[in-house]
Amino acid sequence: MDNLKKIVLAEDNSTLSLLLKFRLEKEGFQLFMAENGKEAVNQIETNNPDLILTDIMMPYISGLELISHVRNKLNSKTPIIVFSSAGQEEMVLKAFNLGATDFMGKPFSPNELVIRVKRILS
Amino acid sequence: MDFDVFVNYYNQLPFLIKVVWIISVILFIIIIVSIFYLKIYRTRLRNSTAETQKLVTEYEIQLINYLYAEEGQEEQNSIIEKLTFCISSKSKRKIIKRVLLKLKKEISGEIAVAIQNLYRQIGLLNFALKKLDHQNWYVVAMGIRELKQFNIKDAHDAILHHVNHSSKEVRKEVQLYLVSLFHFKGLEFLTKIETDLSEWDQIQLLEVLQKNEDQQDVDITPWLNSNNDSVVMFSLKIAEIFNQYEVQNHIIELLHHKNNIIRTKAILVLGGMQNLDFKHEVMNNFEERTLEEQQALFKIFEPLVSNNDEWFLLKYSEHYNFEIRLEALRLIKNFSPDKFALFKETTNNGQFLEMLNFLTDN
Amino acid sequence: MESLTGQHIILIIHYFFFVYGFLAIGSYLFLTVVSAFETSEYVKKNKFVDYSEILASSISPSISIIAPAYNESLNIVENVRSLLSSHYVNYDVIIVNDGSKDDSLELLINAYDLVKVNYLVNKQIPTKPLRAGVFKSTNPAFEKLTVIDKENGGKADALNFGLNVSSNQYVACIDVDCLLLEDSLQKMIKPFLEATDHKVIATGGVIRIANSCTIKDGKLLDVNMPKKMIERAQILEYLRSFLLGRMAWSRLNGLLVISGAFGLFDKKIAIEVGGYDTKTVGEDMELIVRMRRVMEEQKVKYRVAYIPDPLCWTEAPDNYRIFISQRNRWTRGTIETLKMHKKIGFNPKYGALGLLSYPYWLIFERLAPIFEVVGIIYFTVLMMLNYVRWDFSLAFFSLAYLFTLLLSIAAIYSEELTYHQYKKKGTGFKLLLTAILEPIVLHPFVLYAAVRGNYDYYFNKKKKWGVMQRKGMGTTAT
Repeated sequence: MDNLKKIVLAEDNSTLSLLLKFRLEKEGFQLFMAENGKEAVNQIETNNPDLILTDIMMPYISGLELISHVRNKLNSKTPIIVFSSAGQEEMVLKAFNLGATDFMGKPFSPNELVIRVKRILS
Repeated sequence: MDFDVFVNYYNQLPFLIKVVWIISVILFIIIIVSIFYLKIYRTRLRNSTAETQKLVTEYEIQLINYLYAEEGQEEQNSIIEKLTFCISSKSKRKIIKRVLLKLKKEISGEIAVAIQNLYRQIGLLNFALKKLDHQNWYVVAMGIRELKQFNIKDAHDAILHHVNHSSKEVRKEVQLYLVSLFHFKGLEFLTKIETDLSEWDQIQLLEVLQKNEDQQDVDITPWLNSNNDSVVMFSLKIAEIFNQYEVQNHIIELLHHKNNIIRTKAILVLGGMQNLDFKHEVMNNFEERTLEEQQALFKIFEPLVSNNDEWFLLKYSEHYNFEIRLEALRLIKNFSPDKFALFKETTNNGQFLEMLNFLTDN
Repeated sequence: MESLTGQHIILIIHYFFFVYGFLAIGSYLFLTVVSAFETSEYVKKNKFVDYSEILASSISPSISIIAPAYNESLNIVENVRSLLSSHYVNYDVIIVNDGSKDDSLELLINAYDLVKVNYLVNKQIPTKPLRAGVFKSTNPAFEKLTVIDKENGGKADALNFGLNVSSNQYVACIDVDCLLLEDSLQKMIKPFLEATDHKVIATGGVIRIANSCTIKDGKLLDVNMPKKMIERAQILEYLRSFLLGRMAWSRLNGLLVISGAFGLFDKKIAIEVGGYDTKTVGEDMELIVRMRRVMEEQKVKYRVAYIPDPLCWTEAPDNYRIFISQRNRWTRGTIETLKMHKKIGFNPKYGALGLLSYPYWLIFERLAPIFEVVGIIYFTVLMMLNYVRWDFSLAFFSLAYLFTLLLSIAAIYSEELTYHQYKKKGTGFKLLLTAILEPIVLHPFVLYAAVRGNYDYYFNKKKKWGVMQRKGMGTTAT
């Protein structure tokens, strides 16, 4: 079981994160959930995931701060996919500058997300 | 008895003081009651938040199970049955809708369609449709909004019927429904609308239109000629944002519209399209135009200026308006630097010189 | 014969106080009922607004936030960061450093990579000149920021400079130490954009008290009830004033005051009427009254709108010394404004403004503390002459007290039914306790400050035109 790929998912919309958890677990990944940026940082530090999925707008620590923390403080190259909503184009640019790997604009199709996740982790 | 003493004392009081005491006692009772009610209300508010959270979690799990169950299978049907039962309670109905919507907002593709189907299957659609005929504007507006959020196109006719509703909120929801679901085709309501579209409405509608990439060709000319000034303004904005070059000639006609705001906007839109025909039309009767129109011309003037326009710039470099003066001088600096240098040498007007110096450095 | 006239006079005095009290209670009751209607309608209508639509929109109108700063070096860098984090798209921030003697400017230059730029100011309103000049950031992340360093001229003068510099359609004038929620601007701009058959000239916002609240990186994370009674009492006072009073006046289109700490104005009109008056300490109230006056004179159909959402949070004085000096200033501001525009009062040419708002402010805001003091003196004299019927007095006192308490409770209800900011268990009780104690612990100081304000206005000329003194915690909520 140890060789399951680990994913940390930081998303404050509980329904969406539940949906994605089910979907990704079905695909054979191990999921660690976080409702806000603070929890996400904890999950990342304890579980050392293979991939991070994070929303850009979150309470306490935003997705941007999260990326910056992973890249600069933890010095980790773990791929990061950010979710953004309409009107956050500026933030997406900042996210890429900080070192995000990929982004998905909401509303997105979960199937597409799975494809991208698989591609990054293969 | 103590009480008798009290009554006797009260009876001998002057009328006015009696009134004051009576009001005081009434106030006292109201205060006590409202304090108790406040306590109950706050407790209930806290508890119901916790209760709601519990239900949200429950419905979330059911929704996800539904979405991942095979279609037509036992599991799906039993979830539909359960939820259909729950929606008879108004509070639960609200929570279910909230959960569905929360996911639908973030998701596209087949899962979004599945959520929409679930919305129909458990009977929420019927509740929303019933709201459309309600007496209270608030209920009608809520119903329309819900149908928009769940993308229910079949309600089109019933909703278009409310386009001139007496409540501003209902009208706004009607417009948003039409444009969100039918995009440019939904704009047909512009021919029917008799009330003003506020700037707020216009911005929201344009936002929705911009989000949808399928920009169909609609002919906006009838709306440019509308009797409703707000519709004309809105069409001008559509022409501007979606680059409708083909209606330029109609916009030029609007330079003679009776409404100053429309004339001004027409200048800005034509300028943005870099239309050269209208320039002389505005320059020729520049004096008669309002300050807003004059400012608008100078705002979009730069790409339209040719060497023949020097007289015009020179003339208006002494305009009473600061922005026009500054822009005229800036254009002179770009198009005839020697004239500009001459100005600098000859002027002895302090303010003018300040402006020239500023332009030299920038 | 002589004692008869004496008695007559006493009777007249009694009736005067009785009628005044009755009218005051009546008007408060009326305003409370009006505000209840207005609030429920506002909440209903607001449910349909999707602010995220307008916030993302680049076609939304442009707004400048103008924030004057005088010796604010303690928090200025943080405060500016908060102002820059609004979610509205089309806006910029103009900080006017009004001749600060501290290192505010240097701190800003270092924190935001500012450089001096060439700037030509359109001097539509006369102001004090620039000192170090106009600064912009070299960092694109702060492109919305402009810092102006000018010679000291007071808050009004600084705001006027901001009006001159702004190239946007609307201006939000705020205190630099205010914390704005991220969606403030789109909420405040809404009334301007919604109006179709009249012109909105300004929108006023609510001021909430930030004492003891948790704030991080310019964001309000947690709302708490402060410990000190003086802070709690002000929370209650603000709830009463903003949720009951102003809400009702906005319904009647009779708002005379927009809080200087947060208001949004149509820039063109604000400049046309001449901007802020630098000669008064009540420049926020005076500007609104003048704008309304001009509108009435030009016979324009207009409105001053009001948004009751808790958008702007600020520190309130937490000690009596600063509290009294703040209220003293408000009192003088009110006196000056009413005096400057006395032409409006009781003048049917000015419609509801002249016949309703102005008289209300004069009689129940401006003169109330004076009547109260006269009443107290009169009562003391009667007491010394042993004329007091203590049981009658008790009746009146209990009525007055209970009525005040009821108003506070109505305000608490209004808050609970709408915004419910104080969610934690036990805060309901704390608010109630405050309501019960407030007439004893805060009101005497309010009264004292008002009397001092009157005294300073009439007898202490030096203070009258004095430079506005800004304490670190000082706010302007009236």
